Amino acid sequence: MIIITRPNVSDAEIDHIRERIESVGMRTHLSRGEHRTIIGCIGDESLLHEVPLRSLPGVESVTPILKPYKLASREFAVDRTVVRVGGRDGFATFGGPTITVIAGPCSVESRGMLIETARAVRSAGATMLRGGAFKPRTSPYAFQGLGAEALRLLADVRTETGLPVVTEVMDTRQVDLVAEHADMLQVGARNMQNFALLAELGHVRRPILLKRGLSATIKELLMAAEYIMANGNHDIVLCERGIRTYETATRNTLDIAAIPVLKRETHLPVIVDPSHAGGDAGLVAPLAFAAIAAGADGLIVEVHPDPENALSDGDQSLAPPAFATMMQQLEAFAAATGRSFGLDTPSAWAVA
Amino acid sequence: MTDSAPNAESLAELARCRREIERIDNELVELLAKRLALGKRTGELKRLAGLPILDPTREAAVIRRVTEVAREAGLPSEPVREVFWQIVGMSRRAQDGGRE
Repeated sequence: MIIITRPNVSDAEIDHIRERIESVGMRTHLSRGEHRTIIGCIGDESLLHEVPLRSLPGVESVTPILKPYKLASREFAVDRTVVRVGGRDGFATFGGPTITVIAGPCSVESRGMLIETARAVRSAGATMLRGGAFKPRTSPYAFQGLGAEALRLLADVRTETGLPVVTEVMDTRQVDLVAEHADMLQVGARNMQNFALLAELGHVRRPILLKRGLSATIKELLMAAEYIMANGNHDIVLCERGIRTYETATRNTLDIAAIPVLKRETHLPVIVDPSHAGGDAGLVAPLAFAAIAAGADGLIVEVHPDPENALSDGDQSLAPPAFATMMQQLEAFAAATGRSFGLDTPSAWAVA
Repeated sequence: MTDSAPNAESLAELARCRREIERIDNELVELLAKRLALGKRTGELKRLAGLPILDPTREAAVIRRVTEVAREAGLPSEPVREVFWQIVGMSRRAQDGGRE
């Protein structure tokens, strides 16, 4: 249920509306825009039957949200959410006027390769660094990542380059450790419905990059986001990374339509992972172009200084020169959708 | 822009500010302990009076009141509400038999 207030509603009226809703054991969420304010009701809506919402002073209309996701739904927020990542050494934003590209190796293999990759992707226009520390590999015999050592390397490289860092957290037991080192925590496709992990991430003061599961519907992705939001963390960036279909020529099928559908359904930013979607370095650039053209707020791309000798996902990693070329070509697609690359200025961030 | 080399005076002031913050944090924790103790006592009184422990109407009134106080003090009211929902939750759990 959302309550849209009258244009000239006073603070006291808003306080009163919220008190009436909270008096029955529900909680409220306030979204203020320039022209109107939305009060979202969170909890068991049957409790609201006894509250005469429409007759409360300041209320213009009351609209039920029929979708199972509430906090994540487009109706719940006046404006689109802009998620800000980083801060100490540099920051990036998702959902604002600029497109943010995250780039880096599938997994952190050594300090040298990480710093080399970070410098290369930064000079090509990436504003965030990715790098796996704990790797959820399909085979238990494959390289599993450097773990805590990789987290320290990522934090060091962030300090050196100013690029905020995103890395995957696989287990509730790792959440504190990863949050200590990384600027953004990624939930991988295989963990999208790990509800214990999602609930734990609701209590973290770090933005979350939530990847769509291999066989998850858009509704299930939004319910996963709702899980994190219901536990208190509203800074979520959704990521389309390809879904499993009958097609075998590509590793997954990039669901381009998911981008505009998500934009219609939710106020949360949406980015695309063209590397995992195609599973082939040659497909990364065309899929990235399509993603930006379809309205994505950013990309997450695997870049390795020597893809041939990468310990994981070498087939889909771009070498730095190919990444730089792709970034140059992307500018035209961004411009066509009225977006640009690079850091938002603090003032752009404030009004976005 | 300020000079990149910190001068001794500002470093000393920074240390003073941090000591003051720690002192205030100690006070906040002591006040929380006092508030929780009062919460436990109201829990006992509710039990004696045959009233339910969970009282959403009272919780909503507490939150509304601190929202107004915060606004008058020039503080952003949403974060203050979040903090007080946590405190109200702590108090409720303490009343409910001290489970935390």
